[in-house]
Amino acid sequence: MRRFLIIVVVLLAVGVGAYFFLNRTDPDDGTAPVLAGAPTNADPVARGEYLTTAADCVACHTSHDGGKPFAGGLAFKLPFGTIYSSNITPDKETGIGTWTDDEFVRAVREGIRKDGKHLYPAFPYTAYTQLSRADVLAIKAYLFSLPPVHQPEKPNELGFPFNQRWAMGFWNAAFFRSQRFQADASRSPEWNAGAYLGGPLGHCAECHTPRNFGFALKHGEALAGEVVQGWRAYNITSDPTHGIGKWSDEALTQYLRTGHAEGHASANGPMGEAIAYSLQHWKPEDTAALVTWLRTVPAREGDDPIVVDAAPKAMVASSAVAPGGDDGKADAEGLRLFEGACASCHQWNGAGQQTAYAALAGTRGVNDPKGANVTEAILEGVKMRIGDNDVYMPAFGHAYSDTEVAALANYVIRHFGGKQGEVTPADVAKRRAE
Amino acid sequence: MVTLRVNGEDRQVDVPPDMPLLWVLRDVIGLTGTKFGCGIAQCGACTVHLDNQPVRSCQLPVSAIGDRAITTIEAIGQTPEGAKVQQAWLAVDVVQCGYCQSGQIMAAAALLARVPNPTDRDIDTAMSGNICRCATYVRIREAIKQAATGQQHGLQVVVDGSAA
Ligand code: FES
Ligand code: FES
Repeated sequence: MRRFLIIVVVLLAVGVGAYFFLNRTDPDDGTAPVLAGAPTNADPVARGEYLTTAADCVACHTSHDGGKPFAGGLAFKLPFGTIYSSNITPDKETGIGTWTDDEFVRAVREGIRKDGKHLYPAFPYTAYTQLSRADVLAIKAYLFSLPPVHQPEKPNELGFPFNQRWAMGFWNAAFFRSQRFQADASRSPEWNAGAYLGGPLGHCAECHTPRNFGFALKHGEALAGEVVQGWRAYNITSDPTHGIGKWSDEALTQYLRTGHAEGHASANGPMGEAIAYSLQHWKPEDTAALVTWLRTVPAREGDDPIVVDAAPKAMVASSAVAPGGDDGKADAEGLRLFEGACASCHQWNGAGQQTAYAALAGTRGVNDPKGANVTEAILEGVKMRIGDNDVYMPAFGHAYSDTEVAALANYVIRHFGGKQGEVTPADVAKRRAE
Repeated sequence: MVTLRVNGEDRQVDVPPDMPLLWVLRDVIGLTGTKFGCGIAQCGACTVHLDNQPVRSCQLPVSAIGDRAITTIEAIGQTPEGAKVQQAWLAVDVVQCGYCQSGQIMAAAALLARVPNPTDRDIDTAMSGNICRCATYVRIREAIKQAATGQQHGLQVVVDGSAA
């Protein structure tokens, strides 16, 4: 009995020790590489504004139904419930107006808010932990320069045990390490800037890296693609077939700065937001740095790899204004919908008119047999402001039934991707519910 | 300042780059034959030609046009297909309220320029994006055939492009 008790005590001590060891805070303030858009000698508020834009805080901390910027309230529908983003305006009651520097830094880098409770990693402290203290405080300075918005937080809708915030301590022990960015001296300053921009700051991995059973990032699969809230974040590794290895630097740059790369992609959904709110505002040197770093991301195939067919039979047999080469029987319904609602902008040869963003040829969206982003685009449309222009596609979710959306998506996948689409009406219903 | 080539004339307009061509045509230049229907590229009422291709001017920012030639309903009668289409439109008496008809005629003229003798399937493909709330579709089909062949075919309802 005594022996048993000793074992229990020892195990407990080891467990508690391990818990605190794994949850320890990196005492280092951290140093950031020099970013073209945020020179160290700039005014902290101006630096903070650029860093806040680069981290795209506004995209998550603003609700989509006309919410005030940074006042929170955006819903994150996760497999285990719904989390709402918080108000990060300097309102004293409902925002972060009373937070000290240390409290803010701890929240951003360790995921622990002012009252000592754990944040959920929907807020990417897992990435931000690598930010330098100076950068985090610049972001704070900028946020505190904004008008306070009185908007109480929406309570999360999580079932047991996910509503137990303390349990995140164990999640952190398993999946999170507090650590600052380590520059790689063997690489160029530009590469290091890119690694910082795409890693801690821009947190590309939060959407583009597959997640494990614990909903933590699979670091061994970094940036190999994942599905987030119905949208597919594509493989952005250097893999030539499944990733972006074959894109030229110019194409990558064009995509990151405008959301469209000729013959490769047009952004919509969450990536459209990332371009519209964040990436298009980066200094060109910082975009170049990001491209430099992306080029070195190890090639990976990822799950459900997409192989782009740039010249599928039916698309090639079509002209801008008339279809050719479709299998009339299999695609009749989808074709009928496409000719009525889609062809005038997308065109039968996938070239796109009215706007270059309407080009479908060669995109991964139409080459994904599961049709995640094609389905989402049909349902939700596209609305983003890039430079001087609005990029717009109407949402067809209200106009078409699940069966029609599925038929249209599968037609688009076959005609423009040369593949058998797998979208079912049930999939469409699920997408709508999200 | 942007210079647009509209119906063979150069027009200088001082407009923001994101203004849709339809606004420029109607409100700035004063060519009101092209109509505003939906504003979201879904009805076809605003169809004009850019280098002889039909486009939806409501979703075409003026900055995207460059030096391509714009043709509107006001000048389509000066092209051989446009003249034939307008003749046939009168002969068949296609128009009901008329609101969609500039767009219909622009789409039909572009079709005939490309396919001089279109099948019902060709007509469906080219025209089904042009919506007519008065449902003049049967007369539009007949008028396109008359314009193509110079002969009357008689009004007919065609289902799924398979000729009756
Ligand atoms: S007004 Fe342009 S398509 Fe309807
Ligand atoms: S004639 Fe009235 S809308 Fe077509």
